[in-house]
Amino acid sequence: MKAGVYFTLFFLIIPLQASLLNFLSIAGIKPDLALALLFIIGLLTKPVEATLVGMATGVLLDIGSASHIGIMGFTRGIVGLSASLLGSKVLNITSPSNAIVLTVFGLLEGICVLLFLQLLYGFVPFVSLLARHIIPQSIYTGILGVVLFRLIAIRDVIGFLKRRSIQKEF
Amino acid sequence: MPGFIAKHRKILFILFLFTILFWLVTAQVKNGRFLFMEKPVLAISSFFERIITGTFRSMESTANRYMFLVRTHRENELLKEENSRLMLENAVMNELLIENERLRDALKFKQLNASTSVMAQVIGKEISPISATITINKGSDHGIRKDMAVISSSGIVGRVQTILPGSAKVVLLTDPASTLAVRVQRNREEGLLEGKLVNCALKYVSYYVDIQRGDLLVTSGLDGIYPKGLSVATVVKVTKREASAFQTVVAEPVVRFSRMEEVLVLTK
Repeated sequence: MKAGVYFTLFFLIIPLQASLLNFLSIAGIKPDLALALLFIIGLLTKPVEATLVGMATGVLLDIGSASHIGIMGFTRGIVGLSASLLGSKVLNITSPSNAIVLTVFGLLEGICVLLFLQLLYGFVPFVSLLARHIIPQSIYTGILGVVLFRLIAIRDVIGFLKRRSIQKEF
Repeated sequence: MPGFIAKHRKILFILFLFTILFWLVTAQVKNGRFLFMEKPVLAISSFFERIITGTFRSMESTANRYMFLVRTHRENELLKEENSRLMLENAVMNELLIENERLRDALKFKQLNASTSVMAQVIGKEISPISATITINKGSDHGIRKDMAVISSSGIVGRVQTILPGSAKVVLLTDPASTLAVRVQRNREEGLLEGKLVNCALKYVSYYVDIQRGDLLVTSGLDGIYPKGLSVATVVKVTKREASAFQTVVAEPVVRFSRMEEVLVLTK
């Protein structure tokens, strides 16, 4: 199960993000599936694992884009780590209210990326990018998060993972 | 000390990785973008993008064909393609009229046809806060090479960055890695257009140059990548500051990237 999720994340995330999600785009804005999946993985795994998954996904996204390699690796690593630390405090992982936290994560990550870009390129239309891209995308990602959390709750993925880990321990 | 390291080895490991990534980014500011693993990642992603986009487009087209008369739809598609080519030719002709004899070189664009360009379908689009790229379904097998200009019927789209036999990655005009030499169509003043993600900025325009909102920027051909005279962007904001020798000019690309499905790669 876990290997399947990581396989999807590493091999399919760039094509899914660049092609399938285009069919869901509204006014050029599409949800960030990689961030939503990473957030869920972060809630379910330990900090080191979540950080590594975040970094690996981010670096892949960096390579797939035309930007400097490491920007998304850095920010996604922080997202994975934060989600994992948050996961130990969250009572109900499948609760749709986590989608609000996911939206906030998207927003904060976007602001971090903009600060990075400001550092790299000097002038970046900060307010314009925030208003036209980052805020709408974070909200859209949060909505996608609601759907994913609902799916997890329906399919009882968490229960399945827990049963598997108990079986392995014995 | 060894006890401290052993106790906090996980935290130190994470900190080490973050430091490496930060160093990687700063090193690229000095030396330019590292082209690490780019081709394998593009190969895998374009393979899946082709399947996904192909499946969705064929589903879309099947639905359309049931809804409309097949012949009318096909005829419409042919007319659209013809219209796109005519619009492109028209844009080039207009520019040639303005430039007159001084720009005779631009006459070669009258011959812009299938032999000098390759039509490609957009199979992937990634317009994010860090970059703006598209993936097309044609590559080195179709004569496409690095740094070739990519255009649409409205104007310049970007340039080819990475090539595989059957696909290629194109950096859009708005990507921060994109720069091109342009000229104001009205008064022939020159400048360098840089991508700023949501729009573009015209650099090195002297304080005294007459530039106005609504001015059309066309390629000047001085960068050796883009041919002369093609529409690039429209000026949307001009700011002059007494303290600066240059004006701040913001321009919006004429091409609507979010709606783009087909592009032309200029192979000559």
